[in-house]
This record gives sequence, structure tokens and C-alpha cells, in this order.
Amino acid sequence: MTRVFLLLAGLGLASLTTGVAPSRAQSAGGGAKQTVDIIAERFSFTPSEVKTRTGTTLTIRLTSDDTAHGFRIIGSNVNVEIPKRSRGTTTVTFTPEKAGRYTFECSQLCGAGHSFMRGEIVVEDPK
Amino acid sequence: MELVLTNQNYCFGRYAAALVAALVLAPRPASAQDTVPPSPPMSSTGLSGYMDLHYTKLEDQDGELDFHRFVLLVTHQFSDRIRFVSELELEHAFVEGLEEAGEVELEQAYLDFLLNRRFNLRAGMLLMPVGIVNERHEPPMYYGVERPMVDTVIIPTTWFEAGAGVHGEVGRGWRYRAYLTAPLNAARFSAEDGVRDGRQKGSRTNLGRAAVTGRLEYVGIRGLTAGTSFWTGKSGFEFRPRFDVPVHITEADVRYARNRFEGRAQLAQVAISGAGDLNDAVARTTGVNPNLPRTMRGGYAELSYRVVSGARFGDIGTFVRYEDVDTQARMPPGAVALPEFDRRFWVMGATYWPEPDIAIKVDYVHQTNKSSVIKAPNAFNIGIGWWF
Repeated sequence: MTRVFLLLAGLGLASLTTGVAPSRAQSAGGGAKQTVDIIAERFSFTPSEVKTRTGTTLTIRLTSDDTAHGFRIIGSNVNVEIPKRSRGTTTVTFTPEKAGRYTFECSQLCGAGHSFMRGEIVVEDPK
Repeated sequence: MELVLTNQNYCFGRYAAALVAALVLAPRPASAQDTVPPSPPMSSTGLSGYMDLHYTKLEDQDGELDFHRFVLLVTHQFSDRIRFVSELELEHAFVEGLEEAGEVELEQAYLDFLLNRRFNLRAGMLLMPVGIVNERHEPPMYYGVERPMVDTVIIPTTWFEAGAGVHGEVGRGWRYRAYLTAPLNAARFSAEDGVRDGRQKGSRTNLGRAAVTGRLEYVGIRGLTAGTSFWTGKSGFEFRPRFDVPVHITEADVRYARNRFEGRAQLAQVAISGAGDLNDAVARTTGVNPNLPRTMRGGYAELSYRVVSGARFGDIGTFVRYEDVDTQARMPPGAVALPEFDRRFWVMGATYWPEPDIAIKVDYVHQTNKSSVIKAPNAFNIGIGWWF
């Protein structure tokens, strides 16, 4: 059992090196655009960190793997419901004008670990 | 449509000076501009809950119908940075003196001070961050009518204590929790139910020496949660003269869900230092030697598959789980393990979700143990649980 225990711990550590970056797309013509898919499930968003640049129109496609969740970007007027599993995707756009860290969170009570459902949009100035 | 937003005002005057300083120094949301029509303001108070109704038929016994859990969650958001979360549970539908029929439990009631994504403070009645189920226990979220036995006697879910601590997320998907809480009471441990009855449950708890618990988990890949947890405390406070009973619980788990498939596994171990002295002390106090071990161990592996997914009438999933639980794994010198508490479980069944927040469950539990005298009864269970 000790070996299996260590195997499980090792599996968790190995996952450190296999993080998946959010899908991105950028197009010319007008301002820059970027699209990211975020999956919500009790009690996390994946990915929980999204990087973008000021002036970029960020399109966020939100899907739930279980119950209904909310998606709210603190300090903005983005606050939408993510429908339950198999009931579709909610899409929002967000165009940050200033660099900084924008916290997003689940805005619909979804269970005992609801408070853990938070993430960040990291906005940097174009180089 | 464009909307320019300004920073929000925060009122921190009522809180402790240290927290005020931390909150003021933490980065505030920057001004933002977006293209989404304004949404209605968030409700500052939320009400939610879940319920769990079970029918259990043990082999050679009459069936039993039990409204196992009725739980209400109430939350309040004082500001973007300060919020209250509570969970009040009525177990077994009816409460009378000495908990013979049921219990009312305050399983969560804490204030969260959200400083930034990496570092936050929490204080109040806390769920211990140990294992898969303890912090993630809404009925539609797990297969099987009853929670795994490992999450009953090795990790005593629902495990909650009064305390305070920190939590946060570092990088992309690495989350941690670390709390100081009241310790387990070793005088209540038993050979059959493990550490389960040692929970103080935040009721006039002894805090002579605080316990420490923590969890590190990775949630950076869709569907994957891999974590490890610990709990350590000195649990001999009830004895006079007092003596130390260091107890250490370690745990590792992994869960992966993608499309129709889900697999999960968990291992947990309890180490009790000075178990021989603990047995002697309990025997002197109660007249009965509890036959407590130096080590208790348990683990399970579960595979499940949604045979129907996304249909108009709902989803149907099937599962099989194997559990190995031994609350007499290693005994102190002079003590002999009781073989009936070295148990194996095969649990198989199905769940029907007419909608994602309602689960109708059925399962069959085949139980064996190492005893040649005491037979472990098999069981048939039906359950309905829902979240709203």
C-alpha cells in the first residue's frame, strides 16, 4: 500500500509539468482578439489563469461539467450564468484597458467549496 | 456598448487592524472596460442546500428508510473581499437528547478574507481539507448511496472543526490550504469506527494544543484533481494525568473525469503513537480495552462510465468500487488485531440524473472480512439526493 501511496503522490507531482495553456487565437483587422475556453466544475475553473494584453478583446467561452455556475469578473460588469452540464456554453467578451490582475470567481453558490472557485486574468501592456 | 468602471469602495473599519492593513495593501481590481451589457448586481446573500434520502437493506435484516441529510447553505458577501459561508445539517431527520436519533451539525461557518489569489485568510468552523469527499460531498457528485468506508472511519467525513488558516492558489492550478484547528479526541477512537467518534465538532472544543492540517492539490488540467493531505495533532487531552497521544493522518488521492469516464482513487493512513498506553488509559477510564492499533489504513479505487449522456431524459452512469479498510493494520506490542475489522468492499451500481442536480442511485455492497466467525453483511441500497 505504501508503494501505491507514493505512486499517487508522484502522479500529482508529475502533473506539474503537463499544464495545458488556454487556447488562443489572434486576428488582424481592428484590435487584437483572443479566445479562451474555461471549464467550470465543483470547485475550480480550468484554466484558472488567463494571460492577455491591454486592448485585446478577450472572448471567454464558459462550459460546466456539473451544476450551474456563475462567472463574474470583479471590477467589471461581467457576471453571467454558466448552464448545467450538457446544456450549452455561455460566451462573454472582456476588453481590459489597463494592465493588472483581474480576479474572476463563481458567482452562483454551487456547494461546500464554492469559495475556492476563483481565477485571474493577467493583463500586460503590449511590448 | 462600452462601460468604464471605477474601483469599488470597501468598508473595512469593523475588522481587526492586521486584516485591515493586509486588505488595503493587497492589489485592488483595476479599472476595466468590456463589451458585455451590464448584468444585474450580485445578490449579497445566498441560500442553497442538498438532501439525501436512503433505503438500506442489510442481509438478513429488515430494510431501513432514512432521511439521512437535510442541509442548508447560507452565504453572505460583505464585499468582494469578505464573505461568510455556512452549512447547517440535520442528520437522520429527527433530533432528541444524546443524539440517539439524529444530529444538528454546524458543518461550516466561516469568514473568508480574500486578499489575493495566492494568499487568503479563513476563520470559523472549517471543513478539514483531507481527501476527496470531505470538501466535495454534495450527493450528485459521487457514485454510491453511502460515502466510501475509507471516508467514514479513516477520514471521518463530514470532518469539521473550529479553527483558522490560510488558502490560495499558486501558479496555474496549484492550490493549498493550511489550518490550525481543534484536535481529535483519542479517548473516543474505536477499533470498529476508527477515528470517527474523535471529532470534537466545534462544540466547546479542547484547544490545549492545536492540530495542524493542510492540503496541496493540482487542478490545472481539465477534469484532473490530484492531491495530498495531512493532519497532525496531540489527542490525549481528555486523560488525567494528561499524556501525549500524537496522531498523524496522511492521505493521497487522484480523480480524473473526462466526457463519460471518471476514475478516482484514494489512500489514507492513521498513525497513533503510544497506542499501547492509550489502550491502557481508556481501559482504566471505561473498563473496556478499545484495542486501538498503531496504524489504520484504507484505500479505494473507483471506475465509472456514463452509458447515457446528454439525453433529453437525463444521464445514466454505472460504477464499480473496490475498498480495503483495516482499522487494525498494525497493533502495539501485546495487542492482537481483531480480524473482523480488516474489511473489503465491492460496491457496484448505477446513478440516474434526470437533471444534473438530482441523483437517483442504486447499488449493491459485497462485504468480506478476515474473521472466520463474524460474517460481514452484504447490503442493497437505494438513494435519492439533490442539490438546489
